Amino acid sequence: MVQQLKNTKNKDLNSLNHDILKMAFPTAHKTVFLLDHTLSSQSGVKFDLESLNKPKNSNHSQSQPPVAHIPLLPVYKSVWTCGVEALTEYCRIVWDIFPSSRLIRFIAVDKTVHRLNGWSADDQNLSSLMNMFITLGPAKTGYRADLEKGMKAAVEALTEPTAIQHEKRSSLTDSATKVLNKGRVIIFTRLETDLEIQNIKDKFHEILILNNKVAASTDTLMPINHCDLVLVNFYKENQSHLFENKFWPDFSTFLSCELFNLRCGVTLAPKLCNLVLRHYELASTTVTGIPMKEEQNASSSANYDVELFHPAAAHTAILKGIPSETAHLRTIREGTDYETITLKWCTPRSNASTELQHCSSAYRITSVDVNSRPSSCLTNFLLNGRWVMLEMPRKSGNKVISHMLACHGGDIYIHTMYTSRSVLEDPPSISEGVGGRVTDYRIPDFIDLVKMNLLAPHPPVTLEEGEDGSIPLDSSFSLLKRHTKVWPITLASTCLFSLGTVVLPLRYLMVKETLTEDEIVECKNVIFALMGMETRAETLPVSNTASRGGKGGGKREEQYKALWVELEQYLKSHLHSPGHEKVLECLVQCQSKGDSAKEIKDEKVDLDQALMEIDSISEIGPTKEKVPPPVKTVIKTPDSNSSIPSSKKRKGSIPALAPFGKKSATSLFSIWESKINSDQAQKCPEFQGRLLAENNVTKLYANFQEKEKDDTSRKK
Amino acid sequence: MPTVLLLDVSLSMCQPVFEDIGIIAKSKPLEENGDVILRKNLSVMGCNQILDHFSQYCKLEFTALIIFSSLYEVVVRFTRDFDSVKGALSTLEDYDKTNIQVGLLGVTQHILEEWGNGTPCQIVLISDGNLGTQQGSLSKSLASLQHGHGPSELPLPFPFPAKLNIVCIASPDDEALKVSQPIYQKMLEIGGEGSLYIPERNFTVKSVSSMFEKLIAENFMPYNGTIHCGNLSASIMLSPPPQQYHRHHDFETVRESVKEEIHICGFLNVADVSSPPAFSRHLVLSMVNKGLLISESLKFLLVLYYFFELYLYLGVFIFVVTCITKSFSDDLATFAKDSCSDDEGVIDEARIPSLCVLLHGGLKKGNMVALCQVGNNWFGIFYSWADSKKKSNLMLSIFEPGYDVIPWLGKLSNLGPVEALSVNPYGQSNTTSPFPLKVPDKKSYAQNCVVWVRHGGLQSDVQKILRHARKLPDKHASFYKELNRVRKAALMYGFPELLNGLANLLERECYNLPSSTHPEAAIQLQHASEALRLWDKKDPRHNIAHYKSSYE
Repeated sequence: MVQQLKNTKNKDLNSLNHDILKMAFPTAHKTVFLLDHTLSSQSGVKFDLESLNKPKNSNHSQSQPPVAHIPLLPVYKSVWTCGVEALTEYCRIVWDIFPSSRLIRFIAVDKTVHRLNGWSADDQNLSSLMNMFITLGPAKTGYRADLEKGMKAAVEALTEPTAIQHEKRSSLTDSATKVLNKGRVIIFTRLETDLEIQNIKDKFHEILILNNKVAASTDTLMPINHCDLVLVNFYKENQSHLFENKFWPDFSTFLSCELFNLRCGVTLAPKLCNLVLRHYELASTTVTGIPMKEEQNASSSANYDVELFHPAAAHTAILKGIPSETAHLRTIREGTDYETITLKWCTPRSNASTELQHCSSAYRITSVDVNSRPSSCLTNFLLNGRWVMLEMPRKSGNKVISHMLACHGGDIYIHTMYTSRSVLEDPPSISEGVGGRVTDYRIPDFIDLVKMNLLAPHPPVTLEEGEDGSIPLDSSFSLLKRHTKVWPITLASTCLFSLGTVVLPLRYLMVKETLTEDEIVECKNVIFALMGMETRAETLPVSNTASRGGKGGGKREEQYKALWVELEQYLKSHLHSPGHEKVLECLVQCQSKGDSAKEIKDEKVDLDQALMEIDSISEIGPTKEKVPPPVKTVIKTPDSNSSIPSSKKRKGSIPALAPFGKKSATSLFSIWESKINSDQAQKCPEFQGRLLAENNVTKLYANFQEKEKDDTSRKK
Repeated sequence: MPTVLLLDVSLSMCQPVFEDIGIIAKSKPLEENGDVILRKNLSVMGCNQILDHFSQYCKLEFTALIIFSSLYEVVVRFTRDFDSVKGALSTLEDYDKTNIQVGLLGVTQHILEEWGNGTPCQIVLISDGNLGTQQGSLSKSLASLQHGHGPSELPLPFPFPAKLNIVCIASPDDEALKVSQPIYQKMLEIGGEGSLYIPERNFTVKSVSSMFEKLIAENFMPYNGTIHCGNLSASIMLSPPPQQYHRHHDFETVRESVKEEIHICGFLNVADVSSPPAFSRHLVLSMVNKGLLISESLKFLLVLYYFFELYLYLGVFIFVVTCITKSFSDDLATFAKDSCSDDEGVIDEARIPSLCVLLHGGLKKGNMVALCQVGNNWFGIFYSWADSKKKSNLMLSIFEPGYDVIPWLGKLSNLGPVEALSVNPYGQSNTTSPFPLKVPDKKSYAQNCVVWVRHGGLQSDVQKILRHARKLPDKHASFYKELNRVRKAALMYGFPELLNGLANLLERECYNLPSSTHPEAAIQLQHASEALRLWDKKDPRHNIAHYKSSYE
């Protein structure tokens, strides 16, 4: 035996578990914001109302003398306002990129604890966030918040399972018990001393242990396996910060801590982005060279840059690899402390969205400065359905399309394109492969089949409540199966389907689940039309390859033989409803003479008897109303509904009597086919007529004439 | 997927192969035609075995040959010309000592240059199981890799999806192998996927050959499957063979393999699927179904037998023969061709109709894709694709496993036939489309949200109000819209000071109005500024409404 040791299986169990801890249960799934609702002190961020009037006034001064008035006092943002602004921006980015998988809760604390929302997905959007904070109101003054109470509430919130956690936990799979509960608590507050920081961490750790004990003893709560505590210290614009940013990655086995300083004012937003990028593994892309019309001068255009955020994985395709090759793409924008990848805008082709582009991934994006003019220009362009390619300059100087921005249903995505050589290059053409040189595929018919099997979204069915557990996709499978029960793929292999429009109703209607009366008539008419064609000895428009052997007149007869066999097979395989059976019944009745002849295995055609029968039929008359089957003498042809003169009929109708060719030149093929058919017939429910047969003879359409009469009288 | 043959060409590969390695002194070196067989001969033999397999079953695979000793050299760059690799193998020279690190670095460099970091590759490292002088440094760098500290000379794990297989041309009892085996093992552990191959019990040409056979069977088998479109089906080969999916998702680890049966669920417009992201892409090559041919031939024989009996009974056997030859001549010809030509090798496969070609033609002409199920909860799309040379082909793109992988198509399990819906979402003439599915919550960039944390946000919002205020009474709708937007934001951000400031600002605007202005403007400004001051008296969620005055 060749020795081979599978290393994946030998992998250290601990490291595998560690893998699961790290990958499958993201900390970012649950975040609780704990806000100190007493940060009422002024942040130093000034909004000068007077400045708004200045540019306007300078224009006015030309025509009007400036009006003297009391200057408007500037307004100042409180630390609380800066905090809520920052939090809104944080949530905006998260919710744009992760609409349902990353949840955020808010808890504000002053004297009491205000739990603003739950883990429900309905609360995870900007408008409900707005309503929550409007209701909460501005920061309270005069006392300090009871942070301990808040921390308790935050930890309690983390122990409550989210919908997906609950679903995974209560699922019946092996992994159900192993759902790890991880989360993050972000505290917005103002810190003065190191002792205060130490106290908060210690207290938080204590609360965590206590709550885990409580949670472990209940079924409804989940103990916290790991928590990341982020202390965000807000300080005034004009102040220098008291602490350095610090990490305690292993404060305890289930708690990591971080101290993060945020200065109110202009630097707040970029610093905050740093935090979001880290917490949610996002990255930044700057689209450069976007041509935009100038606001003032519409005829000229200038190039602008727009920065976007998206999951960092969208960059792996270009960044992983040889670092020096991509160093020129990485830059740090002014005022920020994170990297951004600069990609160039490519003027899009208008038809890009109707072609399939090869993408390896697609991630949602959000623009960083969402309301700026360049950003909203780009996003509106995309929202209107245009696709934008992004070009990556290579170190060697050439360029390659590396990404694509596109909007689908209201969300903008960044698609990652393949940039390297493809293993699929220079493939053999399909025409060189198996079946490549067959030229008579039924492609137009296949397109019809495709159109009839288009998929559309159905109202969601949950697996539990679905009737007999079926999902819409299952009915798509069965529909396609029904449509392809008999589906020769080439014209050479079919007589029936090479007839084109004549048999069109059969192709469209027989595959339906049920047939209306009109549709049954339509199908029957096709049968009659085919009989008519045979009666008139029309050559079938069948490609040469379709006919097997035979020559001259024999060829045509063979074709009709094959046609009838194929038709019967087709109808037999589509007995979906009583309506379908009626169509088959019609065909069988038309053929019944031939069938009974076969049963006695008579090799000779009793020509005289046949002629007599024809005569008796013709006597009944050529008008449609009076025609009794089994042989329809009046036949709808595709081009005319006129009946065929009876004199002509005698000549031509002989083959019609024996569509299965009861002639001396009985082919092996037809005998074989009939054998197969009779075998198949045994598998099908027995034909009603045969069940009623006396001495193997059934009176067909026993009440047909009465019905006809009824019908005609009604019509009149 | 591309394969690198990484061949050790150090001097130690020139050791002769002994029949029994246990007692080297007494055993005789193996010989063939009078020449002593060396280890390098066996390694070349193994490589040829792999290449022969490729040229027979995986013609579209790319192979590269890299040799290493203390340096590495890319002898043949990635190519489908297997003969050129064989040629290069026959002219290799001997170099100095083994340095696996150098070899792997060379492989990494070459693959990154050629395929980037997204293409899964196979690496077959063929050595004599003797790490030589490198042993110490290798185990050190492996240890540092395993504990995650310190940079390492070893490029493991590879910066691209890779499968590293290590093949040892050595006796299983080799002393050097006993030392190197745990090191190889560790390399495989860190590398991720792959196995170690050592010849079975004794060390002979045969055992080495069967070791390579095993390697081929476990790593280089082509994907052969069947595509089903309802009741239609065809045998296919996928190139490159689809890989197993093994990734961590939120709350679960997903492991899926592509099944041999691929079922088409239905069809979608190319524009509706909107360039979905794919886990992998494969060329769909139509195959002749040998099994079907045999069964059809059998059927034919049965038929023949049936007729034979029947007509023997009727006593017209000779007539039957003529009958067969006449009316069945075509069928006979085809069947005979099908059943016999395999031996002759003259079968014209291009003339056997195939569902793949039909599917390709239909999808191309109709500008459609076929959604298909490739595994449990795993889907993909078939579509027609043409390369730069306009060679058109049927392709399969496989999504990530799961029902919810393409957000704009919704849950794939909810896709059902149009006929089951009361209203056809595609309209009568296929002009409308139910896709893409609209997202319930508008994203921030589509809803004009308020962001004041960035420089200038507040300024421009207030300026907008002023701009509209100066165009009152005409712009009253925009004026109140902007005013309420700012008011709501100020309340949310706990910033009532702004509302008072804004009230003052509007009052001043009112005061500054030129005498020619419509009195309505002053009334609205007055009303707005009064309402702003009452922010805490009324329900804050209530908007400030346009004041109905008698001047209108």
